[in-house]
Amino acid sequence: MSGAPMSAPEALSASPVVDVCNVTLSFDGPPVLKDINFSVASGETRILLGPAGVGKSVLLKVVNGLIRPDQGSVLLFGEDIFSIPEERLFALRARTGMVFQEGALFDSLTVRDNVGYQLLQNRSITDDEVDTRVHEALSFVGLAETFSMYPASLSGGMKRRVAIARALINNPELILYDSPTGGLDPVTSTNIIELIMKERDVHATPSIMVTHRLQDAFMLCTHRFDAGTNSMVQLPTGQADPHTTFLMLEEGKLIFDGSLHDLVHSDDAFVREFIE
Amino acid sequence: MATIPLDRTAKQIVLTVQDYSLFVWQAMRNLFRPPVYWTDFLQQSDIIGVGSTSIVLLSGFFTGGVLALQSAATLAQFGANSLTGRFVSLTMIRELGPVLTGVMVSGRNASSMASELGSMVVTEQIDAMRALGVDPMRKLVTPRLYSCITMLFFLVIVADAFGIMGGGFVTIFLNHQNGTEYFSTAWEALRWPDVVQGLVKPLLSGFIIASIGCFYGMRTSGGTEGVGRSTIQAVVTSSVLIIFVDFIVTHLLLTLLGTG
Repeated sequence: MSGAPMSAPEALSASPVVDVCNVTLSFDGPPVLKDINFSVASGETRILLGPAGVGKSVLLKVVNGLIRPDQGSVLLFGEDIFSIPEERLFALRARTGMVFQEGALFDSLTVRDNVGYQLLQNRSITDDEVDTRVHEALSFVGLAETFSMYPASLSGGMKRRVAIARALINNPELILYDSPTGGLDPVTSTNIIELIMKERDVHATPSIMVTHRLQDAFMLCTHRFDAGTNSMVQLPTGQADPHTTFLMLEEGKLIFDGSLHDLVHSDDAFVREFIE
Repeated sequence: MATIPLDRTAKQIVLTVQDYSLFVWQAMRNLFRPPVYWTDFLQQSDIIGVGSTSIVLLSGFFTGGVLALQSAATLAQFGANSLTGRFVSLTMIRELGPVLTGVMVSGRNASSMASELGSMVVTEQIDAMRALGVDPMRKLVTPRLYSCITMLFFLVIVADAFGIMGGGFVTIFLNHQNGTEYFSTAWEALRWPDVVQGLVKPLLSGFIIASIGCFYGMRTSGGTEGVGRSTIQAVVTSSVLIIFVDFIVTHLLLTLLGTG
């Protein structure tokens, strides 16, 4: 696999959706993140790779302002999220969608209330409208039948798909996926990746996906979603999605930022060891 | 060398008090800035108030009964049986009603708040809520705080009433004394300062129960074991604080209102 871009990338929006500058963070010990710099352009999908425990999930939470770094800044939709009041940060977060590692569904609420959580906080949206939009979001992830169920009665894969529906229902301008396939069987993992691909190719929503599973990362890069057949199809051999690129963390340091082609041809010993 | 852990512990206590103060300030001021989640306020009032009624009612009734049993024997030695009602009503309204109700509600609700919020923290549900653009302090903590303060006020009135009834039951059916005399002395003994004292305390106890329960719940770490630890800390701290604050408030009010 050479992973050469399918075609020259279209001109992405000038101002990035996310711009992470010199972020450093530690929790009562050695730094978890060391001087991280990267950005996500409009329509771009960044896959954050690395073995377990290198700070991938922490970095994702920093991007959404859930964790405050010791140094550095994060510009989300052009606003420095660590210099604005908490109220504005909540409004900014509402424009993003986040899928947590284990789904993080509210276990005392039904699937309907989980998926429609953001809408239910908005008093101007009627219950009927919430129901309609929840049905649409659940249909998108193929789980319309779970509408009235509680998270406890769903399988691990179904919980992740419901979490994806919850993240997508408000038409986010950025989606953050934290190990969406972690701990799932290969078939369910493929279904989840197909959903992420569908969101990328149908709505062109920029995203960051954290994973340590190379097969998922490569599949996302070497396939596209065909809306006609409602399934993913492989790109011609040697081609890769031009807007899907990679980041790799090693012990809190960003050691790689580039395309699939650059990744598979990297000379870095850690990158080589990881992909081989 | 021995001063190092002491130094660390002292710093830890100061930091915890500082965190708690900021936490409480944030939770309290949220009521005056939109959005306010009134539905959650009503839901919590139901859980805390209606849900605790049975234990408060029973503990109040039997405490009043025990007071009447114990006091009747002692008062009889001085030929003061007629003062049983006065003794029970003053003790219930000024002290035992507020304190016992506070401790009972703390055991039931401070623990449930700490464990519920703690579980939400360790399963990333709090982070998910923040990621969805909803402030957990507004959505979870503020409604619990104000509904606990409001409900404890009414629960103490229920406990006081049932305590006096329990005392009356014992006086009439076990001590075979005059019920009319019991209830009339119970009523006549009461002065406004006694009632004020009895109704100020539950406001503070309600505040302690909810703020401590939520505080320990929201700072849970260390998985399910951490949830258990937070629950224990919440119940122990809130129970001790209720009794400590009761002592301070009693001393203060006795000085101010002159009922001593």
